[in-house]
Amino acid sequence: MISLTNYLIVSVALFCIGMYMVLSKHNAIQILIGIELMLNAANLNLVAFGKYDSANNAGQIFTLFTIVMAAATTAVALAIILNVYKQYKTIDPDKIDKLGD
Amino acid sequence: MKTNLITNTLTINLTLLVVLLPLLAFVINFLLPKNQFKWAGLVANLAIFFSLIFSAIIFSRVWESGHILHQRMVWFTIGDTNVYAGLLLNNLSVLMLLLVNLIALPVHIYSTAYMKGDENYNRYFAYLSFFCFSMLALVVVDNLVLFYGFWELVGFTSYLLIGFWFNKEKAVKANKKAFIMNRIGDIGLLTAIIIIFTQFHTFDIDLLFSSKGLVVQTILKNGFWGVLPASYQYLACAGIFMAVFAKSAQFPLHTWLPDAMEGPTSVSALIHAATMVAAGVFLLGRVYPFFITPELDILAIVGCFTAFMAATIALTQNDLKRILAYSTISQLGYMVMAMGVGAYSQSLFHLVTHAFFKCLLFLVAGIVIHHMQHIKEEKQLDIDPQNIQNMGGLSKQLPLVFLVAIIGGLALIGFPFTSGFLSKDSILVQTASWSWGKGGAFYLVPVISIITTLFTAFYVTRLVVKVFMGKSKLDIDIEHQHTTKINLAYTIPLLFLAICSLFPIWSLIPFSYLNSWLIKGFSLYPVGEGNIWLPIIISLLSTIFVIFAYLLYNKSIKNIFPQQGFFYKLSYHEWYFDVYYQKLIVTPILLLANGLFWFDRVIIDGFVNLLAKITIALSKVTAWTDKYIVDGFLNFIVALAEAIANFVRKFQGGKVQYYLFSMLVILLVLFILKTVF
Repeated sequence: MISLTNYLIVSVALFCIGMYMVLSKHNAIQILIGIELMLNAANLNLVAFGKYDSANNAGQIFTLFTIVMAAATTAVALAIILNVYKQYKTIDPDKIDKLGD
Repeated sequence: MKTNLITNTLTINLTLLVVLLPLLAFVINFLLPKNQFKWAGLVANLAIFFSLIFSAIIFSRVWESGHILHQRMVWFTIGDTNVYAGLLLNNLSVLMLLLVNLIALPVHIYSTAYMKGDENYNRYFAYLSFFCFSMLALVVVDNLVLFYGFWELVGFTSYLLIGFWFNKEKAVKANKKAFIMNRIGDIGLLTAIIIIFTQFHTFDIDLLFSSKGLVVQTILKNGFWGVLPASYQYLACAGIFMAVFAKSAQFPLHTWLPDAMEGPTSVSALIHAATMVAAGVFLLGRVYPFFITPELDILAIVGCFTAFMAATIALTQNDLKRILAYSTISQLGYMVMAMGVGAYSQSLFHLVTHAFFKCLLFLVAGIVIHHMQHIKEEKQLDIDPQNIQNMGGLSKQLPLVFLVAIIGGLALIGFPFTSGFLSKDSILVQTASWSWGKGGAFYLVPVISIITTLFTAFYVTRLVVKVFMGKSKLDIDIEHQHTTKINLAYTIPLLFLAICSLFPIWSLIPFSYLNSWLIKGFSLYPVGEGNIWLPIIISLLSTIFVIFAYLLYNKSIKNIFPQQGFFYKLSYHEWYFDVYYQKLIVTPILLLANGLFWFDRVIIDGFVNLLAKITIALSKVTAWTDKYIVDGFLNFIVALAEAIANFVRKFQGGKVQYYLFSMLVILLVLFILKTVF
């Protein structure tokens, strides 16, 4: 029997890995992957907690929404990254600091 | 009476003119531009020439009328005391006025030739004019304060002129010595003036020292002198004596005069033979009623001793000008002695006649020295042009100079038919009769002064013979004539002074000084009986000495005097005065001065330096505190602000991931805090 705690542990691990990627990677696409991982950790939580919800399968449905939304935001983010690359010839977020000047 | 008044005013104004003309010449000469120096001589000569004419007019007015002209005005007022400045013309001052001008004019003329080519030609004449101004003012001023001022000024000009060639080290030493010696006398005079003012509340010479003046009315009685104790009178007298002894080069303050010969010879002739050194005797003449009998006796003894001592020193000196300097001291000794024995008019008579023949001898010496200098330069010899041992045979080269030197020499010896005979023998006669009245040891005074006369005969003959007669001592051929061009500027002064050294100017009868107009002019003071035998005996003895010296030095008979004996050494080393002054006075004073200097440098400066060091240490501590505590605190705050700012700055670095990281950290901190508390 897989308990709720096990789900949550996997979810925390996923979230932390995603967080680590967002904070440490020098490639905007890898950061985007990190964000996706964190989103998926949240999805996992939604699904795991959905079992205890009084309304039927509301968690799963929300998850479906977020997966769709994530796909949409990813598309937008990739478009932004592509434009950034055109502008700066790099996608390392450390080097994209001209806005501060 | 009205016309008389006008002439009196005129006379006073003329006197002012006489005094101020040389001052004007001094100013002009000092302002002359550099390329116009050649006019300096003319300016000075003109000034002194007009001074002479005016002083002759004044002389003829005052001397014949015999009364005293005194005019004064308020100079300044202190409290209730008015101090006046004015002129006092009596027989004494007009005589001196005329004498100074009469000597100064020939010396000025002579100087135009003597100083020709000197690079400081204008400075020389400026100083000479300034001296004439001070000296002329000295003899006519009517109060002791002004008298003191001009007394100082003549000393100061003498200092300037002795050191005229100030790049000669000996001249610098000599003028310093003369100045310091004269300062000693000045202190005495100042003391005397202060005491006299305390006693009489006036500086006026006429009020004080005239025949019915305050000094005569105030007698010493029961140990009191007026309101003051008698010792004040003695002190004032001692002060005046000091002043006289310093200025007139009397023992024990005489040692500056021989050294003063480092100045130009024409200066020696005017200042150190004829006029300034006579100022001491003139002072005695001005304040004569001040002295009481024992004080006059001291004066006589000092004068007699000085005359004798200086004459013995002159016997063996080799420097031409030094011999004449000692001779001057000796003759001044006669004058002081004459004042002491009461021979007032004779003393002044000798002062006047001596001025002429001694000035003449100095001018002769100047020409001789120039001549020797000329030979020295031409033959490139290493000799001292003033040393008489190198001279000889100059009579052929300088015949006129030789002639006037003989006249001057004979006058100095006191030979009949010269002025010296009249004046010197008048003093000796009075001295003799004075000692008759006193008896005892006072007989020594005339005896010693007669011996001095004989010494004078000897050294004058030695001088003339060594310089002019015989053959040149120099080992060279100067036979192919080396006649120094003697121009008019030399001959006129020499002839004029030579004529004044003969008897007719002074007394038409060559053997009787009693008939001299000059003695008659001072009829206020008794002259005493004339005596014909004493002068004749002295003249005969002098003649013997002259012949003896002539034989000794010209015919070179064997010199009977030991050259190494005690007396020779004593005389040659000038009685060791300089040596003992050096040992007994100069060295201790220098030691004291060095001691005080040490005290000043080590103790006083040391204390000051210690204070300085303490202050420096304190300030260093303060500086440290300021730098590390006060500034340190501020710097710490600055550094803190900087560190905080740097820390905060990072959050605005434009790095996206860093923003996120910060956000995470803050969230975590908040959670931890929330969990813990």
